[in-house]
Amino acid sequence: MQASRARLFKEYKEVQREKVADPDIQLVCDDSNIFKWTALIKGPSETPFEGGVFQLAFAVPEQYPLQPPQVRFLTKIFHPNVHFKTGEICLDILKNAWSPAWTLQSVCRAIIALMAHPEPDSPLNCDSGNLLRSGDLRGYYSMARMYTKLAAMPKKG
Amino acid sequence: MVSDSITNASIHAAPNNNNAARDVGKKKRARSAKLKQCKLDVRREQWLSQGAVKNKDCKAEQNGVVEERKDRNNHRPFGNLGMRPGGGENDGSIHHHHHHDSDLDSNSPNSLTSSVLGSNYSETNFTGSSSSSSSSGGCCSGNITEDDEGGGDDGCLDDWEAVADALAANEKPKNPCLESPPEHDPIAQSGSPQETTIGSDGPSFGVENSKPQCARTIPKASGNGLAWRPDDAFRPQSLPNLAKQVSLPNSNRKHYGCGGVPWAYSGVVSAPSSCPICYEDLDFTDTSFLPCLCGFRLCLFCHKRILEEDSRCPGCRKPYEHEPVEAEASVHGGSLTFRLPRSCSLITRS
Repeated sequence: MQASRARLFKEYKEVQREKVADPDIQLVCDDSNIFKWTALIKGPSETPFEGGVFQLAFAVPEQYPLQPPQVRFLTKIFHPNVHFKTGEICLDILKNAWSPAWTLQSVCRAIIALMAHPEPDSPLNCDSGNLLRSGDLRGYYSMARMYTKLAAMPKKG
Repeated sequence: MVSDSITNASIHAAPNNNNAARDVGKKKRARSAKLKQCKLDVRREQWLSQGAVKNKDCKAEQNGVVEERKDRNNHRPFGNLGMRPGGGENDGSIHHHHHHDSDLDSNSPNSLTSSVLGSNYSETNFTGSSSSSSSSGGCCSGNITEDDEGGGDDGCLDDWEAVADALAANEKPKNPCLESPPEHDPIAQSGSPQETTIGSDGPSFGVENSKPQCARTIPKASGNGLAWRPDDAFRPQSLPNLAKQVSLPNSNRKHYGCGGVPWAYSGVVSAPSSCPICYEDLDFTDTSFLPCLCGFRLCLFCHKRILEEDSRCPGCRKPYEHEPVEAEASVHGGSLTFRLPRSCSLITRS
């Protein structure tokens, strides 16, 4: 527990230092609980998520970094590997492929990469996965784009 | 060889092992003392004949000065065997050449410096003894202090070391400049001395050195002799540190693991300075610890924690082949061990 706390403090400092370095990720720690983090990530370009800002919630276990943080989308997103209702993310590095060498920052990057490269064969969002698996890229794109505009982009007017 | 050295270091860290090593070391030392003696005599003669001229040249070299310092310190402790903790034996082996030289030369020529050095020595000894009891903690501090001393003491020069350098210079003009290349040498060399170290600790090395020198008489010895080449190569920086480290058991480990004192320093800076898992600073033990062939380094604490959990390397996600303890033991085996020092040196160099 102490180790996880110490490490999270270090990560916090690191994040403060790198804030400028990675404009696509904004990682902030809860004011009162260092085990609760929130991240804002920008949807990768050339994807239906471009222009959207997605909020992630991190719940860091006390065994961190030996155990992966629990991450979920707070922002609605139409993506085969993200549960549409709960925001749960199906990502190997958040499960069995986790490595203590990862950081919250690198997890954010991995999630951005996942947004750009969905894995329709292990879907949490079956509708989205089915669109991709059936080759309906246009359908997938339009659905994802719609939800991006609805949930992840600033409302105009 | 390297593996042996590493294991030695680890052994020294453990208190029990330390005692055993100490005993062995004492015996060896007694034997080595005679050898040294003869070596010293030869040196002294040489020095008397050549010293006057060479000294001037050598004084210019800052490195030589610093080392002289160290040697002084070393030689002091040598006199007081009781003061020296057992762990130091290993260092003694490497330093022996210097010790001899320094002892010979320093005795008559520079009494003043010796007094000054004496103060240094006492100081170092202090840290050494305390650290030895504690075993691992003191190494780093020891190094630092040594450097500081070296820098501060530059004012007073000892000729004997200079002479020795000059002699070496005859064959190897660039000795003082060799700081960077020595990295390789020390590793390789450290391996051999270390091997002997476990069985015979310091003395073995000293024995080798002293024999050739006695037979050949001097100047060539530095260039040709196995003994001198290593010294010359990294004499500038490494020697001093080692000498001081004599009292520190752990220091041995560091140096050998990293291949030399200077590297130890740089190791802190250039090698991954912090554990990628816990972000704590890596100490020398951690730096020389390579649990996985993929090269991913982490501190021993995190390594242990990982072993208790899924036991996979964070870098490559492959399961660790050995338990932590076994890993160190495997060092004996050789393959894994060999990598440790070398990778270490590479990292530090870069």
